[in-house]
Amino acid sequence: MYHQKFLAPLAFALGLTAVTAASAQTLTMGVRGGPESMDPHFSALGSHAEAAKHIFDTLVWSGTDLQIEPGLATSWTAIDDDTWEFKLREGVKFHDGSDFDAEDVKFSIERIPVVTGPTTTAIYVRRVASVDIIDPYTVHINTDGQAATLPNDFIRLFIVSSEAAADYSTAETAAEGFNSGAATIGTGPYKYVSWEPNGDLVLERFDDYWRGMGAWEQVIRKEIPNDSSRLAALKAGQVDVVNYVSSVDYLALQQDAEIDAVIGDSVYIMNLQLDQREDTPMVRANDGSALPENPLRDLKVRQAIDYAIDRETMVEIVLEGLGKPANQMMPVDFFGSNADIPMPEYDPAKAKELLTEAGYPDGFQVDLYCTSDRLPGDGAICQGLGQMLTQAGITTNVNAISKTVYFPAQARLEYSMFMNGWGTLTGEASYTLGSLAHSNNPDVKLGAFNRIEYKNDEVDMLLQTGATMMDEAARRAAYEDAMAKVMADKAYISLVQLQTVWGTKAGSLTFEPRFDEDTLAFFITPAS
Amino acid sequence: MLGFIIQRFIQAVGVMAVMSVIVFFGVYAIGNPIDIVIPPDATQEIRLEAIRRLGLDQPLYQKYFTFVSNLLQGDLGRSFVYNMPVLELIGGRLPATLELVLISVICATVLGVSLGIYAGYRPDSWVSKTIMAVSVLGFSVPSFWVGLILILFFAVHLGWLPAGGRGDTVMIWGVAWSFPTLNGLSHIALPAINLALFKLAMMIRLARAGTREIMLTDTIKFARAAGLSEATILRRHLLKLISIPIITVFGLELGSTLAFAVVTETIFSWPGVGKLIIDSIAVLDRPVMVAYLILVAFLFVTINFVIDLVFALIDPRVRHGASA
Repeated sequence: MYHQKFLAPLAFALGLTAVTAASAQTLTMGVRGGPESMDPHFSALGSHAEAAKHIFDTLVWSGTDLQIEPGLATSWTAIDDDTWEFKLREGVKFHDGSDFDAEDVKFSIERIPVVTGPTTTAIYVRRVASVDIIDPYTVHINTDGQAATLPNDFIRLFIVSSEAAADYSTAETAAEGFNSGAATIGTGPYKYVSWEPNGDLVLERFDDYWRGMGAWEQVIRKEIPNDSSRLAALKAGQVDVVNYVSSVDYLALQQDAEIDAVIGDSVYIMNLQLDQREDTPMVRANDGSALPENPLRDLKVRQAIDYAIDRETMVEIVLEGLGKPANQMMPVDFFGSNADIPMPEYDPAKAKELLTEAGYPDGFQVDLYCTSDRLPGDGAICQGLGQMLTQAGITTNVNAISKTVYFPAQARLEYSMFMNGWGTLTGEASYTLGSLAHSNNPDVKLGAFNRIEYKNDEVDMLLQTGATMMDEAARRAAYEDAMAKVMADKAYISLVQLQTVWGTKAGSLTFEPRFDEDTLAFFITPAS
Repeated sequence: MLGFIIQRFIQAVGVMAVMSVIVFFGVYAIGNPIDIVIPPDATQEIRLEAIRRLGLDQPLYQKYFTFVSNLLQGDLGRSFVYNMPVLELIGGRLPATLELVLISVICATVLGVSLGIYAGYRPDSWVSKTIMAVSVLGFSVPSFWVGLILILFFAVHLGWLPAGGRGDTVMIWGVAWSFPTLNGLSHIALPAINLALFKLAMMIRLARAGTREIMLTDTIKFARAAGLSEATILRRHLLKLISIPIITVFGLELGSTLAFAVVTETIFSWPGVGKLIIDSIAVLDRPVMVAYLILVAFLFVTINFVIDLVFALIDPRVRHGASA
């Protein structure tokens, strides 16, 4: 009876050590979100692309700081107004031994509109009219009009094998073909072994990878969406590295000698958006009655709101130091970021003065909406905002809700003042300004996410001409000018740039944090 | 008997139909799944394209009728998010939930009823009082907190058990189960304890209340007078007499745990159907939501039906009608 009590925990411990001892050359990653399918063209979600980057390569590579570098394409030039020539890398092999060539590029591009899911990857090839194969290592991409930023669009254009995926390129066959592994042949650093939706992705090393051999023989990506469980798995030794450590856990980790925290700047910036419509649903006088006109349309009111926000406190207290104050919608050093825009000051007295000048000496009332479960700190920042604005005289009712309800409601234009994070994933301004700052105009395909009816004709002009400028320097100047004007209008008020935290066992791994928050096994190396 | 079965069957169909209508209209009210998943650089044209391709621009009643007609042919649709048939998606994850829930509920019932009978049989002993005090904790402490504490203590601090996930599996009848392996059992242990706590508490209290009531009746007095041993009395008479409420609760709890073990599955990253449904709700994956809830309605109706049959088996009074 007595020795039976020892047997069970002993057996469990033995079982556990047996599992860990066999995995000396294995990297086990605990990730918050995983792919929806093994078909890289199915979804444009960040977590999906991150997993796909282990098995497949993209035509153009987005580096650690999101500026573009050669990937499967070694160089690209615009040979005339609507044709780009891409030179492809020679000597690259697929996992099944076949050679990578222009056929695969053409096949991948043409396959996307057919197999893509709701998070559509058609955005990456939206400017492509047709693809011509010139020779096995040269393609000509014909675009619909001048597409100055085509190479930036291709940072998520994954190349699949035209032979292996030939039978699996319709909406019905794609999922089965890729999830079973039959078509999951890529040129990436790891070969597909097995995958469960919402479960583990198991990969093994591809020794002939063109960048060289990865450090790990086997990689297992475990999907653990709950933040506490993910961190517990790291502490218990079940995983070697985790992403998205929450700010609360980060504070506790600083006391823990066994876990290292790796912090990187994120590409995500939180922007407060102020409705510019004449009738806005959620702004009213302090006593609840309707106002004669929308106060958010008055520049002085928007400037007052900007002065009322204390960005330093937001970073230090609300985000526990894991952030930086932001003065524009992209991180500095991105293509189109304007270094001359001043950092807004915190001046609550000036805010009250401006409000009085605008005709609201007692302020007014507004409902503020944001997500509570999408980016780290989003709900907390909203609450901080609510307090800061109320102190300045604008009574703010904070509603931090689930993204499942927030985004559809925002798309239906139900909100007056709202905040969400925006990440410039292509590293350049047309992505951000084109979607947010241009007026909503389907004919020119710009302004799709402009939900506040913001319209500045000068900005519209700059963005439209910028998209057609093939000269990089001129394009950069146009975007910087547009950014300065947009931020001066203060309909979009950028608050803070987030930082992402990864956790690893102390001293065991090194890697450089990426702006797009991707955790890529090939670039994680054992610490020497 | 046949009439009873037919009546239950009609009831089941009715419940499932009502469920499908409620879910359809409820999800429609929240909005378009496109807006949650659409990438930030999509143009208006691409967004409309995606809506068209997924059939989200059809009027609601038309979508509903397409769904029902497919359902009657056995096709529950394809998930938006995974582009896999829903039945395959749910079916792939069902064994994991089944083994976790069955192990947890059966252990909770066996242990709970035993402890409860003891507590009712000897109500004044200190063991009984401890059992009742601990059972209150089982009710009142929220399961997500208990789960995290279990992980913290057993996985992080002591390192005895894994912090989450499912263990090694073996194929039985073409399905992957993890309970036959030792590694699998070590992964099941903590989530099963977490799930079992509430049921354990409930079973203890039910069994105790039933025992205390029955022990005072004439049946037990006469059985003792007839010279039966205490063990025989407990086994043959007491157990059957207290079993009707216990079996009812067992059925209800089994059903609701099978369907909604979401919290435990999320915390322990257990790849079951509970986690699937909560993830599908978060991205408004309507086909999965509707199909899953209809299956759950079917499950509840079936379980209740089986419970009623079991009553008839156990209790002759139910079998022969009240006039016996």
